[in-house]
Amino acid sequence: MSFEAKRCGVQFSPPAIVLIYEHKETKHVRKRIIPVRNFSKYSDYSMAAERLKNHTRHRDYLEGVSQSQLEKLHIILRDHMQGLSLEHSLASFRLDPDEDLNKLDDKELARKKGQMDELFEKNRRQKDDPDFVYDLEKDFTKPTQEKCSWDDVSDDGF
Amino acid sequence: MAGDVGSIPELDQKKYDSDEQVKIICLGDSAVGKSKLMERFLMDEYRPQQLSTYALTLYKHTATVGNKTVAIDFWDTAGQERFQSMHPSYYHKAHACIMVFDVQRKVTYKNLASWYKELREYRPEIPCCVVANKIDADLKVTQRSFNFGKKQGLPFYFVSAADGTNVVKMFREMIKRAVDYKQNPSDFMDEVLQELENFDLEKKEDNSEADEVGLKAESPESV
Ligand SMILES: Nc1nc2c(ncn2[C@@H]2O[C@H](COP(=O)(O)OP(=O)(O)O)[C@@H](O)[C@H]2O)c(=O)[nH]1
Ligand SMILES: [Mg+2]
Repeated sequence: MSFEAKRCGVQFSPPAIVLIYEHKETKHVRKRIIPVRNFSKYSDYSMAAERLKNHTRHRDYLEGVSQSQLEKLHIILRDHMQGLSLEHSLASFRLDPDEDLNKLDDKELARKKGQMDELFEKNRRQKDDPDFVYDLEKDFTKPTQEKCSWDDVSDDGF
Repeated sequence: MAGDVGSIPELDQKKYDSDEQVKIICLGDSAVGKSKLMERFLMDEYRPQQLSTYALTLYKHTATVGNKTVAIDFWDTAGQERFQSMHPSYYHKAHACIMVFDVQRKVTYKNLASWYKELREYRPEIPCCVVANKIDADLKVTQRSFNFGKKQGLPFYFVSAADGTNVVKMFREMIKRAVDYKQNPSDFMDEVLQELENFDLEKKEDNSEADEVGLKAESPESV
């Protein structure tokens, strides 16, 4: 049973997650429409995403789709149910390196963190990974000190 | 007055005066990875205690330093970053501070200055370090030098909560420094607060005495 998830998205009505995947043996690319049931504008997106990820009929297809990606798709669905535009939903995920995230409320911040989670999960080494080292150390002391572009001349070490 | 500073009803901060009890605080902007770093260091031990009324999370940890067992409370914010300032009780009796920024967001580096300033208002002398988190996102950043804290001689760490680089090293060194500091404090803030408390009382008494003295002093003249 090996499927490689290629792309995923949402369908608004009826609400569904759409998955494009490749069947590893036959090399066929297929589309799977997974209906999202019992999900309303008041539902917990994180729980719904988890339910879907562990769903007996879908989990093999969704193995390559991260929990945070599924959460995001559910958020988009929920936003739509609340009457918010797709553009609004997408903007709420976008990471702007210059944005001061201290200014966001809990919900807005959770979306940005959800977005950050994709890279975090990708680079994450966990306890059950074969190459896991608890106290991993790397030395980055450098022979020549470069000037950091983030330190302005005027800052002078603050 | 000192009651105001230290008071969190669920939390008796007096315990941090005892030798085996250490308090280490985390500072830095929202989403720099403070909580993920705690989680990575504590692993199975990770049992956050939420004090949501105070926008505060506590993590308990036991460590052996030298031949001594110490109980460490890590204090992490749960949204207080939003005010770009922490309640004084957060700093109260802290023995070390871990300051974190996100190497992907310059603004979080720039904000270190105001976090550090506030820290030093309350805790002028406690050990502190600067932590550059998320280096897994772009290893090239480790070739740069970040000068904030150099002048003050703050140790600097490149870390990643995701892949674990230098996380345990950083925490262990900070625990050690917190314990050293505790044994040999050069910070008079807590003592000063207590002094002030006593001073307030004495002053009241002094005043009444002074008045009497004043009267007595006047009376010879009027004779
Ligand atoms: N790539 C990467 N992402 C990280 C790392 N540490 C944290 N993150 C991401 O940053 C987000 C915010 O982290 P969090 O610990 O909640 O930040 P806090 O607000 O400072 O406590 C997390 O949801 C992760 O997705 C890291 O070392 N590498
Ligand atoms: Mg946090």
